[in-house]
Amino acid sequence: MDPQLVVWLVARATGVAAYIALCLAILSGVALRTSVLDFLATNRALRSLHDFMTWIWIPLGIAHVTALLLDRTAQIGPLDLVVPFQVSYAPVAIGLGTLSLDIVVVVTVTSWLRRGLDDRLWRWLHRTSYVAFVLLFLHGLLSGTDFSSPLISSLSWSAALGIGLLAVARIAFGRLPE
Amino acid sequence: MPAWSLKLSAAFITLFVLVGSFDYASGHLKNPAAPLQPPVAGAPAPASTTPEPSVGPSIGPLLTVRPGQRTASATSGPRLTLAPGVQTASLAPITLTHTS
Repeated sequence: MDPQLVVWLVARATGVAAYIALCLAILSGVALRTSVLDFLATNRALRSLHDFMTWIWIPLGIAHVTALLLDRTAQIGPLDLVVPFQVSYAPVAIGLGTLSLDIVVVVTVTSWLRRGLDDRLWRWLHRTSYVAFVLLFLHGLLSGTDFSSPLISSLSWSAALGIGLLAVARIAFGRLPE
Repeated sequence: MPAWSLKLSAAFITLFVLVGSFDYASGHLKNPAAPLQPPVAGAPAPASTTPEPSVGPSIGPLLTVRPGQRTASATSGPRLTLAPGVQTASLAPITLTHTS
């Protein structure tokens, strides 16, 4: 098989998988602050899942951007992974992904350095992951090659709606009543 | 549910999505409905919409027959095969029928 074709397939597959892994990470994070998954597991187990998902989506995200760097058709350079809205043929669609990646990296690194940070500052930084998720969803919607597929589209929309509902419930009610 | 089973379930879900997406992408290499269609690097420029007349084939110097010189008998000359899209010149067909 043509190496460029393999790179293209890897970029597409890891993009969808990284999105789902990040959805699970955010879902378990929101569940910590609401009681929505209390029927399933304790907060300690959910926290463990939340931390674990980082080690699932990071390799998938790295594989996604590495494959796009190697893909000659995508025409994405190393600078495009950091500086958004630079890609000539789709600055917004790809730039949203770059912006989302930047935020997620900040959220992850500050979580690892949490002990050295002010708790209030850390919380606000961590809350920007909601913004990152919205940007990631828009990135997938505007640039995802497979987003028009009914199966992948329904999966992506369901995950996004689920997280959206939980986020609204979290803002409106805080921890849900038992 | 214990933490390990949550982790295992999440890892399986992600793996399932990864393999399923790869399989789907392998079966749909090109999606005409994809939102992004980046220009292919190194591809030839798209053809112009208005056709331009191509240069007709040059026939070369015509055969000059000196007075008194015999020409070859009426044999069929070499045939010119034109590639599709090549416009022919509006010249009369060359047929040498004169013999002295």
